[in-house]
Amino acid sequence: MKCSQLLIILFFTLFFFKGNAQEFKLGKVSVEELQEKNHPTDSTAVAAILFEKGVVDFEYSQNDGFVMITEVTTRIKIYKKEGYDWANKAVRYYIGSNAKETVFISDAITYNLINGKIEKTKLKSDGEFDEKVNKYWGRKKITMPNVKVGSVVEFKYRMRSSRFSELTEWSFQSSIPVNFSEFKTFIPEYFVYNPNLKGFISPKITTEKHNKIISYSYRPEAEPGESTTSSSSQEKLEFSETRTAYLAENLPAMKEEAYVNNIANYSTSISHELSVVRFPNQPYKTLSTDWASVTKTIYDYDDFGPELNKTGYFEEDLKLVIAGLNTPEEKITAILNYVKTTVKWNDYYGYSCNDGVKKAYKDKTGNVAEINLMLTAMLRHIGLTANPVLVSTRSNGIALFPNRTAFNYVIAAVEMANGLVLLDASDRFSTPNVLPLRALNWVGRLIRKDGTSIEVDLMPKASSNDVVVMNYEIDANGKVSGDLKRQRTDYNAMIFREKVVDVKEDIYLEKLENENNKIEINEYSRTSEKDLKAPIVEMFSYSGSNFSEIIAGSIYINPMLFFAVEQNPFKQENREYPIDYGFPFIDRYSIAIKIPAGYKVETIPTPLLLNMQDNLGSFKFMINASGNLIQLVIAHQINTPIITPEYYPMLKEFYQKMIEKQNEKIVLIKV
Amino acid sequence: MIFKYVSFLFLFFTSFIFAQKIEYNSLNISDSLKENANAVVRLNQIDIAIASQRSMSITTKRVVSVLNEKGLSAIDAIESYDKRTNIRNIEATVYDILGKEIKKIKRKDFKDQSSGEGGTLFSDNRYLYLDYTPVQYPFTVVFDSEIETSTTAFIPKWYPSSDYFVSVEKSILNVKYPDNLGFKKMEFNFSNSKIDKTIDTTTQLSYTATNILAQKQEDYSPVYNSIFPNVMMGLELFHLEGVDGNAKTWKEFGQWYSDKILSGTTDLPDETKMKVKALVGDEKDPIKKAKLIYNFVQQKVRYISIQVGIGGWKPMLATDVDRLGYGDCKALTNYTKALLDVVNVPSYYTILYGDRKKLSIQSDFVSMQGNHVILSIPNGNNYTWLECTSQDDPFGYQGTFTDDREVLVIKPDGGEIVRTKVYEDNGNTQISKGTYTLSANGDFSGKITIASEGSQYSQKAVIENVQPTEKEAHYKEYWDNINNLKINKISFSNDKDKIRLTENVEINAANYGNFLANKLIFVVNAFNQTNANIKRIRNRKNPLEIQRGFLDEDEITITLPSGFSTEFLPDNYELNSKFGEYKTEVVKRDASNLVYKRTLFVKKGLYSNKEYDEYRLFIEQISKNDNAKIILTQNQ
Repeated sequence: MKCSQLLIILFFTLFFFKGNAQEFKLGKVSVEELQEKNHPTDSTAVAAILFEKGVVDFEYSQNDGFVMITEVTTRIKIYKKEGYDWANKAVRYYIGSNAKETVFISDAITYNLINGKIEKTKLKSDGEFDEKVNKYWGRKKITMPNVKVGSVVEFKYRMRSSRFSELTEWSFQSSIPVNFSEFKTFIPEYFVYNPNLKGFISPKITTEKHNKIISYSYRPEAEPGESTTSSSSQEKLEFSETRTAYLAENLPAMKEEAYVNNIANYSTSISHELSVVRFPNQPYKTLSTDWASVTKTIYDYDDFGPELNKTGYFEEDLKLVIAGLNTPEEKITAILNYVKTTVKWNDYYGYSCNDGVKKAYKDKTGNVAEINLMLTAMLRHIGLTANPVLVSTRSNGIALFPNRTAFNYVIAAVEMANGLVLLDASDRFSTPNVLPLRALNWVGRLIRKDGTSIEVDLMPKASSNDVVVMNYEIDANGKVSGDLKRQRTDYNAMIFREKVVDVKEDIYLEKLENENNKIEINEYSRTSEKDLKAPIVEMFSYSGSNFSEIIAGSIYINPMLFFAVEQNPFKQENREYPIDYGFPFIDRYSIAIKIPAGYKVETIPTPLLLNMQDNLGSFKFMINASGNLIQLVIAHQINTPIITPEYYPMLKEFYQKMIEKQNEKIVLIKV
Repeated sequence: MIFKYVSFLFLFFTSFIFAQKIEYNSLNISDSLKENANAVVRLNQIDIAIASQRSMSITTKRVVSVLNEKGLSAIDAIESYDKRTNIRNIEATVYDILGKEIKKIKRKDFKDQSSGEGGTLFSDNRYLYLDYTPVQYPFTVVFDSEIETSTTAFIPKWYPSSDYFVSVEKSILNVKYPDNLGFKKMEFNFSNSKIDKTIDTTTQLSYTATNILAQKQEDYSPVYNSIFPNVMMGLELFHLEGVDGNAKTWKEFGQWYSDKILSGTTDLPDETKMKVKALVGDEKDPIKKAKLIYNFVQQKVRYISIQVGIGGWKPMLATDVDRLGYGDCKALTNYTKALLDVVNVPSYYTILYGDRKKLSIQSDFVSMQGNHVILSIPNGNNYTWLECTSQDDPFGYQGTFTDDREVLVIKPDGGEIVRTKVYEDNGNTQISKGTYTLSANGDFSGKITIASEGSQYSQKAVIENVQPTEKEAHYKEYWDNINNLKINKISFSNDKDKIRLTENVEINAANYGNFLANKLIFVVNAFNQTNANIKRIRNRKNPLEIQRGFLDEDEITITLPSGFSTEFLPDNYELNSKFGEYKTEVVKRDASNLVYKRTLFVKKGLYSNKEYDEYRLFIEQISKNDNAKIILTQNQ
């Protein structure tokens, strides 16, 4: 899979907008807006953002230096009762140890049309709540008064922050239509931000430079012993400012679809990350401009590179782990298992260590970074070329632009003669090159010892198998009984292990029986549940009377029994986003059926071979009857983890034909 | 020499004891307690000390051995606090499988979180919880906490065992109370468990429960509080959010509630009074007046959950609701009541449990109960019940959230227990009338009208207001038996007077009929397959409860393709059992037209665990017959 090509197709299908001279200001709600019954282009919309404007500006004072001000003004129209939640707003702000933020909400007014007249209701303090969410975050919430179907609500919030390593991410799109969305940044020359724009729609961008003068009062600090009466002086700070405006209009609502990785990947938004700080008379400080400097910056963080290079905590233990092992493959597996079993993941993501690798090793628990950097260090220690790979999880979205915050996760990679081996010790069922699904998100960034980096394709290339061999016989009442062996490899094995871990056998079987048309299961066994290298195998015998029908003396039976897929997973008519399988796979069934004495085969389904366009997948259905035996070989495979939406009609039809074939019946008649 | 040996042994022994707590060793848990268990509660000791009407402390010591990841929630190391409840102590210690201490968690290491998440907009309630990452299984957590509160109106219920897949080695409750506060208790579901009442005097109550085995969760079980043993406790003289209370009977309780909690909350601005008087006009009938008011409220307000201070119990002032246009269930109910007062329609604040399962106020135990509030209006000998948090419910409709249960009606002169409206089995109807045509290549096209009433109304009414994509998803799910389903047209008519929702849907689907050589086979019942999937359960323990009955009737006209002759038509079928009745027939009208009729009636009821399998087979029979097929043969 060439992910980068796919990215270009997906994210640069651009639509351009004509700029509109119309000006939007709070307080100027029109009768027309209040009268509007439905959104003009989306009659199903429960509400719409009539406009939303954000401005990021910098203030300067002697005490605080530069402070970033983000001001957002919003006007929302409520069309339906289901849209009432849009009259509530919550703004999160940082209250951690340093760099506290403050939020001030104002101009919050609800407008209604009463007998042709505009009625205003202001938000009072009883509708505003300030909440300490946890140690790090506070949250201001408002709930607008007097909201009805047809109301228009407006509010403004202003956030002061000195955390300016990044600007507030601006989402142009929402789950409701957005008529007008504008984001402006006023950036002093001392800072350079990298804008990262993603989504299907491209806003109109205008940039201009201004000279700005800030005056402030300066009071020199008193020398020891000196009286503090020295007078203040008015000072001026003169600098140039870059003003950029991003404008998008008439953005459709984002709607959830099935089998989408993370819908936020496709929504139009812009984020900014600080890349250069250049104060006068000080050297340039480069933070990130391209992938190379991003990775270098991350590598230089105290809680990344230095943690990776720490030694002296595991060496003695490691000797025992690899004692007697010869090949690098054996050692990799042994070390991966060692880290998995000795240090448990505490459910925290991150590419930077929290308590550090040494403490994590001692406490036997750590975050993703601690676990996988420790793993990398151990692999390096035994002489392998091991490096960390920065990853953005599925929930975090795809890392599209050089950006420190694009990543939120790290795994380990070993360079071997036949390619990279990817490892993640935070998941107990993950094996070499079988990463937990959360980390399977297109591409990652591998960082070498010298801080240089390369792109790594994370998506699995090898097929995960699900192989079923089953034999059964049918009696004259149509009841079936037989046995089967089912073997799962790679991702199928990982997913299955996760599903059954800690589930009592009794409960698992009850579920298996119920999910498979109430079969009765006996002699159940499972092998290689703990041995992750090997495929996991289930074996059991079964009987069931819900698979056949006797109509007018003939037996109708579906040969695949409970393995036939009954419904097309692709029910929608159209598809806008890629179909994400996560990994390529092959499902294969070998079935042998013995028919009851006194019966013969009247009809069997015809064989079928379906190949998807561009070799994306295939379906094979082979059947043969001789004497009292019917044999089938059925295989369904998908060769790529992600299929782009232009293939959707083909895919839907493919599934339909496959499912029809899977549900065709064998007819047995009396001799 | 001998001396030395002894002291050495002694030393060895003491150090061993210091390092390991034998009782926290997870190796010696008996097999019976491990069966079906993800965690074993080794000890759960709760000491409740009521010092006075305004002071109660609860000390908890919980020792839980967690056997695997699914058992983590059994640790339950969490305490909530607010202005009137103070956590005096909270700490935990973790031991490994041998009982060796591996970690101590102090108060400052507990996470502090606001409870205003999910549906609640704001709450000043907070909680401290333990966030521990296990490094191995099994392990044991010893959790100690002590809370102190001035609220004595709620004494937590005692559940010796309260969760599925968790067994209990020992659970102890000790309660101490002054003899002059009217302490009382009531025991439930004690019959099948080993619970000893060790002390029961005028100032003290103690229970010990031992060896309660882990239970599996089973579908169609009655509500949890009628399965698990539990003890309710309360005081006749109690305190709530700065207000003293005194009640022996529901009448007294209601009186207190009315005087201390509700009084003074129903004032309204004159402008609003004028407005509703004008709205009602000359209408004399109280129910018709109430309907006009209810409609007014539905247009004006929206539901928002806010739990602040006494707002947790006292409704927001009606004037505030009037100005702000929102409130929680208490606020909106109280506001509706205030408006009804203006037009002289009596109505009562009513406390109950809102739940899809029919959960009643324990009518023979006078105490603070319930989690929801609705409004009741006297209507002849009955009441009309209003759900004031809904902007869509028809007037007087209760759906499945507040129907058929005991509730507390607060009247100015006292409280009264009343049962809410019962929706009879044969009133919960779904009547479908439709047609479909099968083409010569097996394609399907049809249309249908589905009218739903009673408790089935509430399931359908929600569909009307969802987004088109969700509507489509609903029908594709409802008719998941039809592959390739395409929905051509959907329309609704919602008759709120008759409380009937009618759906009109037109659909088509390619290849509904399957060809086998020259035979065309299709399922006759296209529109209403029994979807109740009743699981096979090995050794069912709980009784079977069918909460609500229903009646479905279908009449479908089927047009067959020409050029085929009918090889096989399903026989007429009838099934009667104690659970209900089912009947289908296929009538041949002419060469190409059939009429399919189907009736399914299921009764509500409570049955023994033994009868569960009978019920499963009853539904399975129906499901099988719902799959009956017609075979057509192509004429040569």
